[in-house]
Amino acid sequence: MDHTDHILVVDDDHDIRGMVADYLQKNGFRTSLAADGREMRAILDTNAIDLIVLDIMMPGDDGLVLSRNLRASKHKAIPIILLTARDDATDRIIGLEMGADDYVTKPFSPRELLARINAVIRRTRMLPPNLQVTEASRLLEFGQWRLDTTARHLLDPEGTAVALSGAEFRLLRVFLDHPQRVLSRDQLLSLTQGREAELFDRSIDLLVSRLRQRLKDDSREPAYIKTVRSEGYVFSMPVTLLDDGA
Amino acid sequence: MWSRLLPRTIASRLYMILFTGLLLAHGLSFGMLFYERYESSTSMMMGNLEKDVSTSIAMLDRLPAAERPPWIPKFERRTYRYILGPGQQGGELATERAREITRLIGGVLGERYKVHGNTTSTHPERLQVHLTLGDGAPVTIELTPSVMPVAQWLPFVLGVQLVLLLACAWLAVRQITRPLAQLADAADALSPTGGSPQLPAGGPVEVAKAVSAFNAMQDRIALHLKERLQILSAISHDLQTPITRLKLRVEAMDPSSTSDKLLADIDEMQHLVRDGVAYARSAHGGVEPALKVDLDSFLDSLVWDYQDTGKPVTVTAHAGVPVTTRPRALRRVVGNLIDNAVKYAGAAEVAAQVGADGIVTISVLDRGPGIADAELESVMEPFYRLEASRNRDTGGAGLGLAIAQQLAVAIGASLQLRGRDGGGLVATITLPAA
Repeated sequence: MDHTDHILVVDDDHDIRGMVADYLQKNGFRTSLAADGREMRAILDTNAIDLIVLDIMMPGDDGLVLSRNLRASKHKAIPIILLTARDDATDRIIGLEMGADDYVTKPFSPRELLARINAVIRRTRMLPPNLQVTEASRLLEFGQWRLDTTARHLLDPEGTAVALSGAEFRLLRVFLDHPQRVLSRDQLLSLTQGREAELFDRSIDLLVSRLRQRLKDDSREPAYIKTVRSEGYVFSMPVTLLDDGA
Repeated sequence: MWSRLLPRTIASRLYMILFTGLLLAHGLSFGMLFYERYESSTSMMMGNLEKDVSTSIAMLDRLPAAERPPWIPKFERRTYRYILGPGQQGGELATERAREITRLIGGVLGERYKVHGNTTSTHPERLQVHLTLGDGAPVTIELTPSVMPVAQWLPFVLGVQLVLLLACAWLAVRQITRPLAQLADAADALSPTGGSPQLPAGGPVEVAKAVSAFNAMQDRIALHLKERLQILSAISHDLQTPITRLKLRVEAMDPSSTSDKLLADIDEMQHLVRDGVAYARSAHGGVEPALKVDLDSFLDSLVWDYQDTGKPVTVTAHAGVPVTTRPRALRRVVGNLIDNAVKYAGAAEVAAQVGADGIVTISVLDRGPGIADAELESVMEPFYRLEASRNRDTGGAGLGLAIAQQLAVAIGASLQLRGRDGGGLVATITLPAA
């Protein structure tokens, strides 16, 4: 491999960022370390960073603020993995809304972090999303449906919440992030891989058919997810971002 | 024993006491009035007798026998009359009053006339006093001592008074029970998550005092819960960093049986901290807004998440109706119950039902070892663990059911556990009526 990925680890705890860096180096990454936002910006200005591991709870500007600032800066393309201290759904989703690509809950094992880093790098290299969901626009609208990316459920025209399983949500997000674009089964499989060690023996085809059911999409005449013979699937409905409160 | 005879509600007790008391007092004063009337009419009769019995008898005695009858009606009074003749013979004088009357007549008439009396009727009381005139003709004085008749309007007035008493008693009882009922309603509505409305101050001094005490208590509970949450959050937050360091250090060590055990210990600590925070938060309920949720897809998606990680969890019955609830909290409640079932039984079934009254229930069923009836309540207490499970393999922090129970309450639902026919456990969440 000619390119060695360069990871920036931002954490106010000296020992933690040191040990994380050691582990990542052992696994073939280059690392840089920063204790706060100021150090982080200094490193970003002088190095080509491939991914940032960002601790949420830091004195001064916390990880959420830094992540949002990054998304508004020239470094907006760099993927971010947040380290969250609390295992609480609200925090996770706020993190993702603030522009992070993924999160790892503290206390984490270094193997877990490594797996997330690899997955995020693979995902962003393979298919950068067309739509960037921001905190102001957490609702995606397509056809008669709206997807609440915070609560992770669909809203039908009457406003009734239709829940999605984790795998369904991830698949739908991949489709919505890449509308009108043919996605192969392999691409879909690797983009929808769950965070937990899911057995995932379900084929993408089964998942697609479940999702069609959820969307009340007729599998013979699908309006949302169309089958492209021998290539994969395409999400054929235009997707719009709705301003919050809309 | 007395308490069993008393009516159940304060209102009816107060009614009873007030009404009985007032009724007795009233009855007593009426009784006294009648007694007084009776006494005075008796003494009036005696007075009249004393004055005119001697005159009447003396006149009759002096009149020739043939001229006596026309005079008889003129001597008649309201309570006594004269009869020419032997009258009736009856029994002994029955009352002290009768004897007194006889004595009085005898005393007034003096030695000249032999007087003897007897009672001819007891209801109404009637007595006759017999004597013999100078020419040997018998004369009888018939007395009917009676009270002066009561006015026609008196029972009507009595009735009006009773109605008045009843109305006053009702008003007085209401004064006491209404604030009590309001207080009870407010205590019922008091939610552990805070945000319950304060009771409006006002009313009589005692009520105002109770209301302000209640409001203060509500504030203290809210403060207490907030503090508890803060403490738990702070502890868990401060523990996360050292636990993370520990974990990173152990993982950096060469793999050995010791490092595996260390990692297992760290994982257990981590779970305890997480559950503790989750429990503290569950009491708070969170700020999640209630939504109309399609229950079928809700349960399907939840169950598929388990199936996707290889756990045998199935939905056996769909309700087919939407519910209004806080989906994230409900998801956690059902999830905790499924986790529990999977932990102890290896598998879980989820069934949703709509009762005849429209009440929706969600049940999580398993075929595990179940829980003894005596322990069904206690397992929902925080940190309670069944004796049989007090080992690390199945242990956990003992907070799963406590969290589920608290969260269920926070979303207005309730959680019941019971044994399943044929072995196992049924956990039922009863959602609030729409």
